[in-house]
Amino acid sequence: MARTRMQLLMAAAGIAAVFTATGCGAADMTKQSSPYANVGGAKSVTLSVQSWVGAQANVAVAQYLLEHELGYRVDTVQVDEIPAWDALSQGRVDAILEDWGHPEQEQRYVKDKKLIVPGGGLGVTGHIGWWVPKYFADKHPDVLNWKNLNKYAKTFKTAESGGKGQLLDGSPSYVTNDKALVKNLKLNYQIVFSGSEAAQITQIKQFAKGKKPFLTYWYEPQWLFNQVPMAEVKLPKYTDKCANEGTKDPESVDCAYPTTPLQKYLNADFAKQGGKASAFLKKFHWTKEDQNEVSELIASKGMSAQDAAKEWVEAHPDVWKKWLP
Amino acid sequence: MSATATRPSTDPATDPAATGTAAAEPRPSLLSSAVRSPAARKLAVLAVIAAVLIPLAHAKWASGSWPHALTVDVSGPLGDASDWILDNRDSHWIFLYFFGHISNVIIIGVRAVYVALLALGWAGVTAGLTLIAWRVAGVRIAVTTLVSFAICGLLGMWVPTMQTLALMAIAVTASVIIGGLLGLAGGLSEWAFRVLRPVLDTMQVLPAFAYLLPVVMIFGNGVPGAVLATVIYAAPPMARLTALGLRGADAGVLEAVTSLGATWRQRLLSARLPLARKELLLGINQTIMMALSMAVIASVIGGGGLGDRVYQALSSVDVGKALAAGLPIVLLAIVMDRTIGTAGERLGEPPAEGGHRLLRGWPAWAGAAAVTAVITVVGRLTGSQTWPTGWTVAIEEPVNQFKEWMVDHLYTGVPVVGGTADWAAHYVKWILDPLREGLQGLPWYAVLLIVAALAWLIGTWATALTATAAMAAIGVLGVWEPSMDTLSQVLAAVFVTLVLGFAIGIWAARSTRLERMMRPVLDMFQTMPQFVYLIPVVALFGVGRAPAAAAAIVYALPAVIRITTQGIRNVDPAALESARSLGATQGQQLRQVQLPLARPALLLAVNQGVVLVLAVVVIGGLVGSGALGYDVLFGLAQGDLATGLVAGTAIVCLGLMLDRVTQPTERRDRKGA
Amino acid sequence: MATTLVPETPDTPKIPESGERAPVFSVRDLWKVFGPKAERIPGSAEAELSAAELRARTGCTAAVREVSFDVQPGEVFVVMGLSGSGKSTLVRCLTRLIEPTSGTLKIDGEDVLAMDKTRLRDLRRHRAAMVFQHFGLLPHRSVIDNVAYGLEIQGVGKAERRAKAAEVVEKVGLTGLERRRPGQLSGGQQQRVGLARALAVDPEVLLFDEPFSALDPLIRRDMQEEVIRLHHDEGRTMVFITHDLSEALRLGDRIMLMRDGGIVQLGTPEEIVGSPADDYVRDFVRDVPREQVLTVRRAMRPATSDEQDGGPALAPGTTVADAIEAVARTGGPARVVDDGRCLGVVDHACLLSVVAGLDGKGAAAA
Repeated sequence: MARTRMQLLMAAAGIAAVFTATGCGAADMTKQSSPYANVGGAKSVTLSVQSWVGAQANVAVAQYLLEHELGYRVDTVQVDEIPAWDALSQGRVDAILEDWGHPEQEQRYVKDKKLIVPGGGLGVTGHIGWWVPKYFADKHPDVLNWKNLNKYAKTFKTAESGGKGQLLDGSPSYVTNDKALVKNLKLNYQIVFSGSEAAQITQIKQFAKGKKPFLTYWYEPQWLFNQVPMAEVKLPKYTDKCANEGTKDPESVDCAYPTTPLQKYLNADFAKQGGKASAFLKKFHWTKEDQNEVSELIASKGMSAQDAAKEWVEAHPDVWKKWLP
Repeated sequence: MSATATRPSTDPATDPAATGTAAAEPRPSLLSSAVRSPAARKLAVLAVIAAVLIPLAHAKWASGSWPHALTVDVSGPLGDASDWILDNRDSHWIFLYFFGHISNVIIIGVRAVYVALLALGWAGVTAGLTLIAWRVAGVRIAVTTLVSFAICGLLGMWVPTMQTLALMAIAVTASVIIGGLLGLAGGLSEWAFRVLRPVLDTMQVLPAFAYLLPVVMIFGNGVPGAVLATVIYAAPPMARLTALGLRGADAGVLEAVTSLGATWRQRLLSARLPLARKELLLGINQTIMMALSMAVIASVIGGGGLGDRVYQALSSVDVGKALAAGLPIVLLAIVMDRTIGTAGERLGEPPAEGGHRLLRGWPAWAGAAAVTAVITVVGRLTGSQTWPTGWTVAIEEPVNQFKEWMVDHLYTGVPVVGGTADWAAHYVKWILDPLREGLQGLPWYAVLLIVAALAWLIGTWATALTATAAMAAIGVLGVWEPSMDTLSQVLAAVFVTLVLGFAIGIWAARSTRLERMMRPVLDMFQTMPQFVYLIPVVALFGVGRAPAAAAAIVYALPAVIRITTQGIRNVDPAALESARSLGATQGQQLRQVQLPLARPALLLAVNQGVVLVLAVVVIGGLVGSGALGYDVLFGLAQGDLATGLVAGTAIVCLGLMLDRVTQPTERRDRKGA
Repeated sequence: MATTLVPETPDTPKIPESGERAPVFSVRDLWKVFGPKAERIPGSAEAELSAAELRARTGCTAAVREVSFDVQPGEVFVVMGLSGSGKSTLVRCLTRLIEPTSGTLKIDGEDVLAMDKTRLRDLRRHRAAMVFQHFGLLPHRSVIDNVAYGLEIQGVGKAERRAKAAEVVEKVGLTGLERRRPGQLSGGQQQRVGLARALAVDPEVLLFDEPFSALDPLIRRDMQEEVIRLHHDEGRTMVFITHDLSEALRLGDRIMLMRDGGIVQLGTPEEIVGSPADDYVRDFVRDVPREQVLTVRRAMRPATSDEQDGGPALAPGTTVADAIEAVARTGGPARVVDDGRCLGVVDHACLLSVVAGLDGKGAAAA
């Protein structure tokens, strides 16, 4: 019928129009940047923020300097670590400032596809482990050896842990082997995920307020140590062999977490064409103390990230002057 | 079965069932009616099936949690699929020539709108939108719009607001077009309607969270995936209402139009579509509301904008920051809902005399455009395109201080009532924990059996089969334990919601004053995106399962109250009058007349309550509710799509099961609106 | 209801002499069967079954069965029957709003069932317009735009159709309400809009499907008079469906009484009331005040020679009621005179026997 033919023709024309509009050829998703980037002639940089405060401190200072010293507009996007790699490879994010080591992603994006280039070290060394509050460790020093943990399982029991001891874990995005560790070390503990780092901090603070015992997954550098002093529980010694096996089968891990020099990564195109911004981000390098200073301003003094960055920048010109291209 | 039903049960001696139960005084009428009632027959069949299967299942796999032998590990294939996608995203044709184009069109579209919004500047956007609101919805809404956008600017949220608006513009346009076309097909073709209806009905009950993972898998983090997830979530109401509107068109009018010799196209354009305009507009309204809700949640997959600010704030439990980003979301929702709602109410009315005439208003439209243009230019001359930096009010500090004050004073130790943290602890200890332990402790086949029985009692065998299959799928996927955890949270929250909702609803049905007072509050609560409910509950209850439950209860309560009130109000006044004339007391009237007659409405309230609670309990993963919601977040965060997809599928199954178990025979529109 | 019969029944029944002009509608052996394999029923053995048996045997319902009739130009042809008698289906078959199952159907000699889509659309646009029981107005359009809708569909320009619509709106007495929406009008006013919409396209035939049964009695009466006036002014052919006997008697030049899809009787109001074809019809018309329907033509007896010249003269179409008045006034019999020729006389006895229903047992008028 005439009508149906008309409709078909129109549909075909519509599809054709779409293709003409978008360019008839291939459309590579990995080369499509964020729609919000570089709008209105402003040079803009998109930084990924991870949910922990240390990462926020990095981004806050970088953002402040990029905006006030180099005249960029900075967009920040909250992305967790692994999706951030993905977004970085697609150019939807220009840089990750604090990476805790993701060999699989590094292999894929840096070595194989060359979509991401290393941006050098951040200058901070990260370490993950299990910790108990110092007030508790002082009274019961033997808790600091993992072999004695089962002895204290009852002490660490809470409503959420259902009869076993509670091992408090944080954000779902963090690197963790705790499930495997609890199983392989035959510990009578239940992992309780608080859902986010902030939730975990709230809990830790509440425990500390009542001087109650607790066992938590935690990491350095972390400003919270200044407020709630903690002591690390020694886990079986970290070995490369155990780590390699862990990469193959995450459930086999039975040793401590490694100590990781934190790394920066840049999108390959951004690294080449990012001008001053990429040069600046490559040089960005500071210490654990610097980071903790900013983190604490944000997290415990309740300052906005930009105000905290401003305060630090004004106090430490000697550190950041070197980063400017 | 018919033999059972017709068996004379008056003689207890020949009736084995009766001899057991009624020794002294046989009660044949009760028993026979029980045997004859369809519910009892269904239960009897189930009992027989259970009696045969359970010992078998028990012997083979033992009871307790879902047997390991019956699970299928899908993490391997899913992981491979995810790896394949990552490896081929820049080379395989399906990405280059299909998904790539979709993604590209979305990016171009969002960018175009965003650039236009920024080019208009804060003055131009505010003026333009205010004038549009004035033209379509009148002065009051225009003022609301003006104030709302001013507040967005004042809170320092101008740029995120524009990003959300740009994303919304594209997502809503796409949803309306796609939904409209699907609805058109469903409205005009019986066959298409039969295919579409169950799909759309089901999609409407699924939590927003479940849509995130598949799009992330293909499009990765970022705006394209966010827009796509939004479209998938927001298009169904449009399609559904379009189809229903077209099908509900007055047949007499259509016949009259045909009798005048209209062609198919004339009939569609001049009669069918205009006749369905209320539904179309309602569809657009619901689509916008759901799109906003989803656009905000999609910040979890890199949607950016206001949602991202809330997400960032929630992850550091910064209530002040979350509120500063959440307020603009609420304001956007209110402005859009009121504008379209009022425009819809005006549709039926004839063009007003004098003042503003909707139909012949082109001079007024032109005037509005001119004013916008002038204000845009003036705005650009006087300052920056985005909101002037000096004109912001930082509410974060005072809000956080207030929150601290609440934490200090309301958390614990408030005399008599106790503190919010105490409530949360009691709720967890006395309700959630026993329920979770109970569910996880129940043998798996018992859970299946209960589900089957409930679904069959309320629906047909097909309903029961769907519900049981959904539940079994959860077991097969190997997420039985977390699903039972989520289920326990849902059930507990639904229980509280229904107790509160029925009580308030019944009360409101009896007191016109209370109903009138509550109406604007309910209206506002019903338009708010799910995400923003998480903000205040974190302030009040901290982190964990209790705040998620609180958010879910607050989110689902308005719908339950509203449906209950309406249901009781709609009870036939004649029935009530006759009861009163027989001297029934208020309580008797309620128990014996109003509640039984309002049963369909109450069932609908239960269904809505369950669906809405599930949606929020799942996003409660963001504030520490754990279980399936946490697994989805974990999957998103770790790029571990296997975990995430499995949890997402389990959420879908749980949603399906809960919906089927509570689905009344006749379903009405979701969330009133 | 029966007492509100028409005083001003046209003096001369406008039964057009056949052969002068071809019938507007010519319907032969028309069937409409709903149900599975409906096309098998007409002409088969099942066709003879009663409605209940047919449904039980085949699952089909014959809404219209083997109906034949002609509608003459200029007449008001009323189809009457209780609900479910198939009358509404029948009128929809005339413009194929419902597709007939079998039979022939011609309009002005042209085969309607053979028409293609375009031709059929043309028929609906220009030749037959319908007025519906529930009005069928477009709620989103003003009165004037509803009236102009038929013209809009035909592609008439805006100014022209507005002008034409304004004209018709005035004709049906809706002046001043042009800008209202249907929802703001009373039922009677809405039906006037429906009527105006049908008139605006200037159709050859107007089809009415129980147009006034949704209205309350007083308004119904107004509307009936409106139709009578329109018919008087324009002489347009009308097919009028109703379940109301008084309405049928009042409006119809000829009445077709239907039951279970078939024709029970077809004739003038006088024939229906005076000579019911069977007990069903007799039962139906029992309460009709016969003196207001039947005429002296029916009541008269041959005049005796001395009666040829004396007494008042009455036209043959005078109702018995009017004749009673004349006879009562003079006291003697009245003559029935046509063209100066005396056809017969009516006296007390003749008239009373009509009123009492004692006539007609065999006396069939032409």
